[in-house]
Amino acid sequence: MTALKFDNLKNEGIENLPDRQRRNFLKLGFAITGVFAGGTILAVTSSVRRSFASSGDFLAQYPYKPHYGMLIRQDRCIDCERCKQACAKTNHVPAYGYRTDILERVRPDAEGQQREFIPVLCNHCNLPQCVRVCPTRATYKDRRNGIVMMNPKKCIGCLTCQMACPYNARYFNEEKMAVDKCDFCWEARLDRGGKLTACAAACPAQARIFGDLSRDDDPVHRVVHQIGRTVWVLRPEAGTKPNVFYTRG
Amino acid sequence: MRLFFICLICGLVLLIAGPGFAEDVDHGGDIHFKQPVVGVLFSHTLHVEELGLECDSCHEGLFAYEAGTAEAKDDFTMKSLAEGNYCGACHDGSTAFSSETRCAVCHEGVKGYKRALGLINAPEHDRK
Repeated sequence: MTALKFDNLKNEGIENLPDRQRRNFLKLGFAITGVFAGGTILAVTSSVRRSFASSGDFLAQYPYKPHYGMLIRQDRCIDCERCKQACAKTNHVPAYGYRTDILERVRPDAEGQQREFIPVLCNHCNLPQCVRVCPTRATYKDRRNGIVMMNPKKCIGCLTCQMACPYNARYFNEEKMAVDKCDFCWEARLDRGGKLTACAAACPAQARIFGDLSRDDDPVHRVVHQIGRTVWVLRPEAGTKPNVFYTRG
Repeated sequence: MRLFFICLICGLVLLIAGPGFAEDVDHGGDIHFKQPVVGVLFSHTLHVEELGLECDSCHEGLFAYEAGTAEAKDDFTMKSLAEGNYCGACHDGSTAFSSETRCAVCHEGVKGYKRALGLINAPEHDRK
């Protein structure tokens, strides 16, 4: 391609670049220790404004019906890992991989409580970078429910999606010879009439609330669409419009 | 010569038994509960040495001396704690913080439990 043609290309902007690339581009040289912890510090702000209001159409209506999402009540997580166990059993996740994980944050100088656990999983973003970069369309956004799916038959194991994902939600499954990830238990449960993901069903503290954001009476929708309690998303700066929300209290 | 031996024996007895006379060091150390969920830490060091509780504050009314006795019971649950049993006798919101708040103060989780067993290393502290 000649330089002349390059000039005529449409500028895609930096908001659609994978986070890592964009960070390099912006030359933000500071070391981020604990990828997700870095995100949460920046992310404590109203989720509605941050994740949806930037393009008003998302606030007005959710693009999928149902539009699955999850609310994580972070202060209730006790790292018992029952969610991880239930997930591994339900979705046949090998010991070396994970579809969901629990991060730990320790602040020795904090008052009262110095430790906090943060459950993480695929955020089923509305603008999924993994889908954007997949060369074979093995990973795609399901038009029915907004779940970011994997078609292991199409996956060539290039791991570009892993690089693109700001949430570190993907691992390479050596049995499937394909990347594997959370599908909100679509294959194992939802598609077979189940109403909850395995992790949400297994949580003894109701730290994970699974729901349909497109319904006004949905528990996740109701918490996201209020101003009394702070709701945030992880790494909003990635601009992927995630569907996993976090709150405390 | 006899006096020397008596003194020697007395000295040895004191040397061996001496630490036993010191107060508040003879306690159960860290108790890591595994039931009903993995990873709850009770620190005798904190409760006895720092907060000054006596053994009979909890033993044997709330907890038996033998570790694992409470765990084996079906009613060793958060619901039971909220009703004032076990830890909930003090962790009621007035004597000490309520057992229905600050979950991760006591819940060290699977990570904490594995650390106690020496299976994983201590966490890196979060940046400020």
